Amino acid sequence: MRCIKCRAPANVEVRRHRSAFCAGCYPDWFRTQVQRTIDDDRMFSRDDRVLVAISGGKDSLALWHALLRLGYQADGMYIRLGIGEYSERSQAKSEAFAAKHGLRLHQVDLAADHGFTIPQMRNQREGKPCAACGTVKRYHFNKVAVDLGYSVVATGHNLDDEAATLFGNVLHWQTDFLGRQGPVLESTHSNLARKVKPLYRLAERDSAAYAIIERIDYIVEECPMAVGAKSLAYKDTLNALEETQPGLKYQFLVGFLRQGRKAVKTEDPVQIRECAKCGQPTTAEVCAYCRMVERRLKKLPSLASPLGGEGGEGQQQ
Amino acid sequence: MGDVKVTILPRRETREVEAADVGHLLRSLGLHQDAYIVIRDDVILTRDVRLQSGDQIEVWPVISGGS
Repeated sequence: MRCIKCRAPANVEVRRHRSAFCAGCYPDWFRTQVQRTIDDDRMFSRDDRVLVAISGGKDSLALWHALLRLGYQADGMYIRLGIGEYSERSQAKSEAFAAKHGLRLHQVDLAADHGFTIPQMRNQREGKPCAACGTVKRYHFNKVAVDLGYSVVATGHNLDDEAATLFGNVLHWQTDFLGRQGPVLESTHSNLARKVKPLYRLAERDSAAYAIIERIDYIVEECPMAVGAKSLAYKDTLNALEETQPGLKYQFLVGFLRQGRKAVKTEDPVQIRECAKCGQPTTAEVCAYCRMVERRLKKLPSLASPLGGEGGEGQQQ
Repeated sequence: MGDVKVTILPRRETREVEAADVGHLLRSLGLHQDAYIVIRDDVILTRDVRLQSGDQIEVWPVISGGS
């Protein structure tokens, strides 16, 4: 297999594009894809200050790296989730990346600043804290962005993430979620940052290859809390289909965004107001974050008053 | 075609697998090609690259996520 740019032996095949690239040409191709996505979906400009949600994994670090190479003003934000040694290793990778490139990495420490950790947020029925973790991340990324004046939050959600989310929402006919799924979530309140997903047209394998070729030291292991998660089963199913039908995931997601979404999108404007407890934007009187933290911490008597005047969440995917 | 020595990350499980090329290797391991990256001597390999007996191969998973 040869690089379609320079005819050298290829290193990375992108089957859905019927393309392959050598290690020398691949990073430029990857960054060009990111740039096209940012431009096509009008995500942000070089005048915007971008806050990149950093996990220490391949997607977030590859995104941060690519945005900087493309000339964007991008700082990072990492949340210390308290998932044992996994969190310690991912924090170390994130800090090392920021230090190596001389970047600013904001951090929130759930245990020290808010009195709880993600493993304590396990859902009693499913035994997993993944949904709670998502709520926590959305809340804190938004809050830090608004408090520090960033105009947009960029996350490393990739094609596989978005296709798996879509697959799950279709399987369960979650029409509310289907109507809101997209690469850009506009700000509809002064305390709600714009959210964008510049990697949504790039596969998980694409960002891993970019990270490896650019020698980005990321955490390879999976979050131990995610073992057995439904999203991983959906990804496995989609990859089984992709094996014989390259491009299926892309067609599924992009086809939905171009054609399917309008069929399920509700036109009713959602009323955003400020959470009665923390002031963050929400559709309810008390936001999902405050409700969740209070509910879970009632079951953890050793941890008192975790909110410290904060909480709340924008009802965002 | 001979055995290649495979290390599967992140746990670094080791296997010896008889495989003619990278695509064959992944099929032998029962792994989807979109969910893994195959590396030899710090170089990413495409699925058509032929393997030699005694090659030291690393297989990196690329899938992440929860919920």
